[in-house]
Amino acid sequence: MNEELDSQLSAMFDNELPASECELLARRLSRDEELKARWSRYAAISATIRAEGGARLNANLAVRVSEAITAEPTIDAKPVAAPVQPSRTAPRWWMPVGGVALAASVAAAAILFLRYESPVQQVAQTVPVTSATNQTLVARSVAPAVADSYTVPKTLPRRSIVPSTQLANYVVAHSEFSSPVNRRNLLSAFMASESGTAGTPSGSDEPTEDVTDDAKSPH
Amino acid sequence: MSADVSDLSLVRRVQGGDKGAFDALVRKYQHKLVKLVMRYVRNPAEAEDIAQEAFIKAYRALPQFRGDSAFYTWLYRIAINTAKNAVVSRDRSPIEYNIDRSSDAAEESYDMQGRMKDSETPEGLVLTDEIRRTVNAAIEALPEDLKTAIVLRELDGLSYEEIAAAMDCPVGTVRSRIFRAREAIDRRLREVFEGGLGRTEDLA
Repeated sequence: MNEELDSQLSAMFDNELPASECELLARRLSRDEELKARWSRYAAISATIRAEGGARLNANLAVRVSEAITAEPTIDAKPVAAPVQPSRTAPRWWMPVGGVALAASVAAAAILFLRYESPVQQVAQTVPVTSATNQTLVARSVAPAVADSYTVPKTLPRRSIVPSTQLANYVVAHSEFSSPVNRRNLLSAFMASESGTAGTPSGSDEPTEDVTDDAKSPH
Repeated sequence: MSADVSDLSLVRRVQGGDKGAFDALVRKYQHKLVKLVMRYVRNPAEAEDIAQEAFIKAYRALPQFRGDSAFYTWLYRIAINTAKNAVVSRDRSPIEYNIDRSSDAAEESYDMQGRMKDSETPEGLVLTDEIRRTVNAAIEALPEDLKTAIVLRELDGLSYEEIAAAMDCPVGTVRSRIFRAREAIDRRLREVFEGGLGRTEDLA
């Protein structure tokens, strides 16, 4: 017998033969009885050295298994290589229906989002309706809030029921120069401006942390 | 190199419908599996029956084997479960023998059982002993470098790379030494069979 072939067989027995050589030798081993007999003796030598004395070295276990396997149906299925993607097994008609359902879900989410956001915009829109004398002041105090809304995460503005001390003092100081209706409008404007500034980026690290977490999370 | 690449190439062939490749796997692991099963049953004949059952179960389950673990690790689990089930179904626990007996007496009982079964095939017993004697004598007669290489491989389970590091030689030299050691032992082993004690195919 070819010495190179026997050397390959010895390495294959030890699981030390390169994969490229294994395929060819495995094919030959499964058919060549002389090679199989040598392979069996290698196993007997191994068992003896390892003192696997419980097994009878002349046991014809392989013959018995081979006879039993002969009666078994031949495996003709492909090996399970990886989990099958569900989309491959799904009927084709699910694909357009699924697309429509996905689009509907996105649309519904968008509507809900807009409805959720609308109170903030309504508050902002009420501000310019105030009297002409207060429009400049209101515009100054409201403008930063509108500008911030592009950079600050959308949060439901908290409406402070009681204005801050500074604002209250301002209203009281100017109340004698205005009519009761204007005082009320001014107070409303300040409250609106207060709510607008409630979302200023006091904790600006928070979104940054979120992004960092997303980047860290495996996809 | 993957530690299981050779076994995996045989497994893939079986999965493609080649029953002969499974025969090669059985020949390679039969001794190991019987020894494993004998942790649960001390009778060699019974252990062989259980090992046979485990191999057949493995063959049937092989289409589901993905190669995530080594083939022998997978086979090992099947054999353990088969042995446990066999013990339970026969209402025989491995520790049951220890009741009211000293451990030495229990060991003696196991040996007696095994020998009684073996006595059914006395020629088999003689052949097994002869094989062991021949292999051990052949190993003793090996040149030191070949003996060290084969012992490090078989007894200590080192990879070729580890043996190369231990013996301070290239991996190719290790492969050659192990092969030459096996050839020398195998030559003596074939003489045993051709000398009339048995036939080579009996080893299958």
